[in-house]
Amino acid sequence: MPWQLYRMIGRDVCVALLLGVMTAGAASGSQQAATAASTLEQRLARVRADLYGASPRLDENIRELNAILAIDPRIAEAHLLLGMAHSALGKPEMVGEVKAELQQALDLNPDLLPARLLLAQTYFDLGRFEKARDELQVGLARAPGQTQFMALLGETARQMGDARRSVELNRKVLQIDPAMAQARYYLGLALIDLGQREDGVQQLESLVRGGAKVADLFLALGNAYLEAGRLDDAVSVLSEGVQIAPAAYALRIPLARAYRLKGELASAAEQLTLAQPLASAQQAAAAYQKLEASLNTEWGALRLAEGRLPEAAAVLDKAIDMDPNHGPAHRYLAEVLFRQGLFNRSLQHAVQAEKLGTPLPPALRKALDAKIGKGGGA
Amino acid sequence: MSGRAAFGLAVACGLLPVALASQAPGPQPSQREAFVDVTSAAGIAFTHSSGASPEKRMIESFGSGVAWIDYDNDDFPDLFFVNGAPGSSNALYHNDKNGRFSDVTKRAGVGGAASKTFKTGVASGDFDNDGFLDLYVTALGPNVLYRNNGNGTFTDVTAAAGVAGGAAEWSTSAGFFDADRDGDLDLYVVNYLDYKIGDDPYCGFKKPGYRTYCSPTVFDGVPDRLYRNNGNGTFTDMSRAAGIANPAGKGLGIAICDFDRDGDQDVYIANDQVRNFLYRNNGDGTFKDVAYGAGVGFGPDGKAQAGMGVDCADIDGDAYPDIVVTNFEEELNNLYKNLGDGTFQDIAATAGLRSSYLPLGFGAKLFDSDNDGDLDLLIANGHVIDNVQLYRPTSSYAQAPLFYENVGGRFRDVSDLSGPALQQKRVGRGLAVADMDNDGDLDVAIANQGQAPQLLKNQSSGSNWLIVRARGKASNRFGFGARIEIEAGGRRQVRELTPVSSYLSSNDTRLHVGLGAASVVAKISILWPSGKLQILENVAVNQRLVIDEP
Repeated sequence: MPWQLYRMIGRDVCVALLLGVMTAGAASGSQQAATAASTLEQRLARVRADLYGASPRLDENIRELNAILAIDPRIAEAHLLLGMAHSALGKPEMVGEVKAELQQALDLNPDLLPARLLLAQTYFDLGRFEKARDELQVGLARAPGQTQFMALLGETARQMGDARRSVELNRKVLQIDPAMAQARYYLGLALIDLGQREDGVQQLESLVRGGAKVADLFLALGNAYLEAGRLDDAVSVLSEGVQIAPAAYALRIPLARAYRLKGELASAAEQLTLAQPLASAQQAAAAYQKLEASLNTEWGALRLAEGRLPEAAAVLDKAIDMDPNHGPAHRYLAEVLFRQGLFNRSLQHAVQAEKLGTPLPPALRKALDAKIGKGGGA
Repeated sequence: MSGRAAFGLAVACGLLPVALASQAPGPQPSQREAFVDVTSAAGIAFTHSSGASPEKRMIESFGSGVAWIDYDNDDFPDLFFVNGAPGSSNALYHNDKNGRFSDVTKRAGVGGAASKTFKTGVASGDFDNDGFLDLYVTALGPNVLYRNNGNGTFTDVTAAAGVAGGAAEWSTSAGFFDADRDGDLDLYVVNYLDYKIGDDPYCGFKKPGYRTYCSPTVFDGVPDRLYRNNGNGTFTDMSRAAGIANPAGKGLGIAICDFDRDGDQDVYIANDQVRNFLYRNNGDGTFKDVAYGAGVGFGPDGKAQAGMGVDCADIDGDAYPDIVVTNFEEELNNLYKNLGDGTFQDIAATAGLRSSYLPLGFGAKLFDSDNDGDLDLLIANGHVIDNVQLYRPTSSYAQAPLFYENVGGRFRDVSDLSGPALQQKRVGRGLAVADMDNDGDLDVAIANQGQAPQLLKNQSSGSNWLIVRARGKASNRFGFGARIEIEAGGRRQVRELTPVSSYLSSNDTRLHVGLGAASVVAKISILWPSGKLQILENVAVNQRLVIDEP
């Protein structure tokens, strides 16, 4: 999970719960053991304070936590903090280690709610929604009414196709805590899914106005503006998102699209060039591949707009290789092939695009039919 | 481009720290045919069935293990291959003592073809102390314990023994050892992922033929199991009480050594993309994971690596067992030098293992291949993704093994100098060693994924050797865990007797020691697991010595 988002959604509950854990964990036994425990606790407290601070020194904290666990590998909170630190590094290859540390924390202390929340969020980020849901439900069984768990459970339900459940849960959360940005964000997404775009956009806009600085929020709002044809708003909000999170290349794809639709092709190309995909083809998470397919599709649409048809065809073919069910890629490729006079191949992709819910514009489709009817093209 | 040529390119392009990537010093070794492939000549007709399917189920990429097991006590190691896909049969080959093996699977009753599981690993050990080695076969699904009846047949006693594991558990390597030093062998079973067939997400391009096997990252780990031997044919699952039930584990390899030389055996687990575990034995069969502090959990950059196979033994003559771990491609294998104070240092880059960077390593064994008195290293390689070249043209599914000669505690890659048998590219997985012909040098069996295995006969000659068969009395019958110190030719070698190491595999239960030019063994000290110390002096070289615990 992005560190920023984690801090947004989990910081308060983590701090509160951790303080509780540490208070309850006051050592007993011999004075020497108590002293040693106290020293460890002091070291742990320093890491905790730093991790929850403004600019945590992650590598240093990881080293210190490893050292603490070398002395006592059964400190649940140390595993939790190590999982958090690994997570905050934001490196996909460390996801296994994040899960591993959190699972060890929960194995030692099943009531360590921050660990369960972060584990659920990690599953969520990996697209393992059932696993995320299971963890959240266990968390809620242990802490009924806990708002972070409820909110994420709602969003998990939305990801699993039940946006209504998300609306229900997140409205409930907002009744308890109207200031909870995470719940409002999830509510906005769910409302958009349910076709209540204006309401959803209002929820997201209120968060931006309130100063929330989370890339995912800007992405969602930018996409909503794009779908509503509000291109200037889309450029504005996505540009702001890119300022906040320059490495969030997922933001640059819709930003490029907005520029392209405004006719600002050079700006579109600049954004796509910056949107270097981080994920390799062998990344397990399907989301990365979808993103790569979207990136290539947007490149194809841009090349089409520039009239660079062979380049457009090549990159759209690549997008379809990655995701044969990418409707926009088929739609743009159909147009490229039409302009190249390859009408039969164009028709194949046009049909596929229609099946996937992204048909050619009616005039273009009609023109294609006319060409096919005349038996022209390859 | 071959893996080694590509490696050169990687160095040239600055992808590897050249200054750190030095090999063992000394003159260039000459060409020597170290091993000859005798698979066909020996009558080994086994072929592994991976169950490969277009769905790219993770288990299909896993491969299986191999075990050397002298099941009939004729002092010639027999050979057992685990097969993979449901319906495929394991194979037990009897050593006919003339360079050939006979398939005795059916009579022995260890084929397991009726099983609906994917079979994976194997461990051998005499769990009931009747003097005959038993077999434990792991699987994605219930594991199987075959008790050796002593007459060439085995009986499935899994249910009575209580060691099947979870019905859907994915077990990998396993090993018998006496965790609590009560005289019988306990059983450690390494588990991998929380995975069900059909759980596999789609990975790779969606273009036909491009689907690939997924990374284990998406799945959770599963705790290992430690079964305490009750001494009556049954076992008790002590995993949690013993402190080894770490839910984060994604274990593939196991090696067992007394790392701190406190007289009991510790356990090292190689995990896949999760830090490795080092369980220090508290002396009573309970363990503490000391990997964080010992410096053996992560790679040199502090990241968890994709650990596969593992072995432990003393590579530099300081009497402390070091650890070698094989990893994924573009990860150096680890060579953790035991510093003797509870900590280790990964010296792979400086001790000559740089050529392990590109291949994807699996089975690994430290053994004295040329009887010169130190431990060399052989690694079976092979990719997990059968269509890897679609994505990485410089990589390959089949890969040649890596063979390193020990030169003063560092390694020199002699793979290209050791004859055509080690040039063959296969999809290597399990690897195990034994002196199959009792000629004094250790031969090798490699289990290949979806292919025939390789039986490699050692061509070493000229140096002296000793093979020790330990027979425990108060200790377990095969002396697993005995620490044996050999003093010969002014050199002391410290070894531990255990067949447990590598990947999914099990080695000869006898201890082999190369003696170089030494004409007599001045002293043999055996510290039995029972705590008894036994000393033999002036022992003749070049013999198979049976030592009974007093």
